[in-house]
Amino acid sequence: MVPVDSDDLWFAYNLIAPGDSVMAVTVRKVLREAASGGRDAERVKLKLEIKVEAVDYDKVGTVLRIRGKNVLENEHVKIGAFHTLEIELQRPFVLRKGVWDSLALDVLHQASDPGASADLAVVLMQEGLAHILLVGRSMTTTRARIETSIPRKHGPAIAGYDSALNKFFENVLQAFLKHIDFSVVRCAVIASPGFTKDQFHRHLLLEAERRQLRPIIENKSRIILVHTSSGYKHSLREVLDAPNVMNMIKDTKAAQEVRALKDFFDMLSNDPDRACYGPKHVEVAHERLAIQTLLITDDLFRNADVETRKKYVNLVESVKGSGGTAHIFSSMHISGEQLAQLTGIAAVLRFPLPDLEDIEM
Amino acid sequence: MESSSKLSTGNEQLGDQVSGASSRRNRMGEGTPSVEEIRPQSHNRGMSKSDLPSKSRAPYKPEKWMLPEKEGSDLNQLNLAIVGHVDSGKSTLSGRLLHLLGRISQKQMHKYEKEAKIQGKGSFAYAWALDESPEERERGITMTVGVAYFDTKNYHVVVLDSPGHKDFIPNMISGATQADAAILVIDASIGSFEAGVDPTKGQTREHAQLIRSFGVDQLIVAINKMDVVEYSKERYDTIKQKLGAFLRLCGFKDLSVLWIPLSAMENQNLVSASSDARLRSWYQGPHLLDAIDSLQPPTRDISKPVVMPVCDVVKSQSTGQVSAIGKLASGALRSGSKVLVMPSGDVGTVRSLERDSRPCTVARAGDNVSVVLHGVEETNIMSGDVLCHPEFPVPTAKHVELKVLVLDGSAPIVIGSQLEFHVHHAKEAARVVKIISLLDPKTGKASKKTPRCLVAKQSAILEVVLNGSVCAEEYSNCKALGRVSLRSLGRTVAVGVITRLIED
Repeated sequence: MVPVDSDDLWFAYNLIAPGDSVMAVTVRKVLREAASGGRDAERVKLKLEIKVEAVDYDKVGTVLRIRGKNVLENEHVKIGAFHTLEIELQRPFVLRKGVWDSLALDVLHQASDPGASADLAVVLMQEGLAHILLVGRSMTTTRARIETSIPRKHGPAIAGYDSALNKFFENVLQAFLKHIDFSVVRCAVIASPGFTKDQFHRHLLLEAERRQLRPIIENKSRIILVHTSSGYKHSLREVLDAPNVMNMIKDTKAAQEVRALKDFFDMLSNDPDRACYGPKHVEVAHERLAIQTLLITDDLFRNADVETRKKYVNLVESVKGSGGTAHIFSSMHISGEQLAQLTGIAAVLRFPLPDLEDIEM
Repeated sequence: MESSSKLSTGNEQLGDQVSGASSRRNRMGEGTPSVEEIRPQSHNRGMSKSDLPSKSRAPYKPEKWMLPEKEGSDLNQLNLAIVGHVDSGKSTLSGRLLHLLGRISQKQMHKYEKEAKIQGKGSFAYAWALDESPEERERGITMTVGVAYFDTKNYHVVVLDSPGHKDFIPNMISGATQADAAILVIDASIGSFEAGVDPTKGQTREHAQLIRSFGVDQLIVAINKMDVVEYSKERYDTIKQKLGAFLRLCGFKDLSVLWIPLSAMENQNLVSASSDARLRSWYQGPHLLDAIDSLQPPTRDISKPVVMPVCDVVKSQSTGQVSAIGKLASGALRSGSKVLVMPSGDVGTVRSLERDSRPCTVARAGDNVSVVLHGVEETNIMSGDVLCHPEFPVPTAKHVELKVLVLDGSAPIVIGSQLEFHVHHAKEAARVVKIISLLDPKTGKASKKTPRCLVAKQSAILEVVLNGSVCAEEYSNCKALGRVSLRSLGRTVAVGVITRLIED
């Protein structure tokens, strides 16, 4: 496989588990005997296959680090020697698994789906605070965060307010130009409580005209405004839930996850005996064949030992088999983050189970 | 996508705290922190615990100049918040009062009337005395708290005219945190009162709950726009009965609530008895000004070290001086006093004090002043910070234990719930990390350990972690720094107090 974008690296991270083996071209420092009799360290490029012991996803450098023991006969590296493979974008690798369970096959299918990019750029703001977020297929990343002190507008301070606000908008504009690429994103959303979004939008368009900023002028129609209750990151869910945004992204993972989690909280609010969370409660509910919708984060699969992973895979298949739905949340989207905080596993039930309250969580 | 841009994940749960942010405010950060960060310097939280003087020193003794001068020589200051549902007439009422009490000249009033008419907002002329920004005037709403002053027989009143619009409640909270008493303005017109008290869509209830949670126990309910309902006694009684029940539930005692029917637009029952026969036929109670005068003076903590939550920071265009505006929660200040700005740790001196645009020599607990500071960098102080005594610093915290009451209509709160945390003028994104126990509403004792979730009307102890640290104190040590409100999806979901600061 060749990871083409960061989403792919994330898929790979979810596929590669301890016990699998990965083969890729890598660089290794090899000690050689020099003609003079001394030792020389040389960096040699070679193809290694290792049995995986640990996988690490490097958020900053966009690289997957796989540590394990060498299993292939090689002139430079003994069998059993430890090595760390680095999988980067555009670098091919081969993954061998003992068992490709249904979940792994699912991930593989998603990763190979050439479907249109779901990317959405969001400028989430309130007066004095702005976040630029990129909602991708399987992850949401924060590209910039801008915070400025803006004085209130009364009395002699009014002049100070205007200049502070303009400086703030200018910084957000710069970040907008730097991080939002209209050839990759479907559209850009400007979201805020109150009128900040309208004011910034106005500033954006005026400056684009004044400075002839082509990317904005050409994509004016792809900028939409959405009302949220705050400019904090957690208000992103309100953006994904907004009707005009939902229309554009309704088939995407991110949107489905927001809806599924919202439905869970609605049930918890209206009929709490039909909603549960935590591995114990979900297990009990499953035993009683009560699960209608299962919500689970990919974290739980990835971090589990072989036994536990098998248990979760069976749970997902069993729920699907009995006519229910299972949503596997990406821990890199905001809904997945929130579900992870809530133990990582939850369920909406077909019928109420009031005695769950008495069972320890 | 450019190959040079670095991707980072959304896992900046506990704060996008890239420590490389020595970037000055308003400058783009050079170099490559994984998330591009631009933030004011005070947020670097320069003070480490070891920098702070230890608290176990000689107990604080107020100096002589701090204590109030002889009895009855000075009018008490009263911070009066004006709250209520959007369009109930708060700003117009405030503007009217200011005009009637001579705080706005006739010339200025004519100017407002003329300009308002040109913009097609003739009926907002009085509101313009408080809503000064072009944005507010154009839209006909208050967005930030408008501050004004007037004097009554007994008080120097500081009017804190709050926004009623749902989106600006965080600003209203800033006003409420300074309030000693409040006027809850109600629109008596048919349909409007009902819209206001709607549990999900109206702001009347939320404002009443918030103001109560900030310790206000004296309330004047101004039933405005009585002219529209022809000064009907029936309408007044209906409103009084329905709202009265709710206020009782909020914890307002019947004796501490005054009900005043009036009309700001027609100037009825504001500063003198009504001239309208219909109202006079059944109402013989006090007018609004008398009601304000009858409020009990609040107690002032003058004998504690100075604590002033900063509501606003202003830099003078002409002199370049930095001023901090707010209400002293305790203690006193005068020119020359040394102050410590938390959380940045900057120490400065008071150059001068101003109240109501006039210089004053001493500011005491309860006074709402502008403190001109010397020696404090503009980047080291912002709204939400706290001025305090250098030897008695206020603590900062990122992880707190709270005792809260979940309000009506709130969605359930569970572990992981993401909320907005408000304490005095500071606000931060926060996450619930532990629900410790439910509290029995009657006894206040823990009734159930680790409940699954919290729903409306329940009281509970829980722990939250904030994205960034804020100045805060246990409520039992300092009320002004210990009252909190939690908001989510545009509503206040819970109000309460800090029971413990947790060190991580």
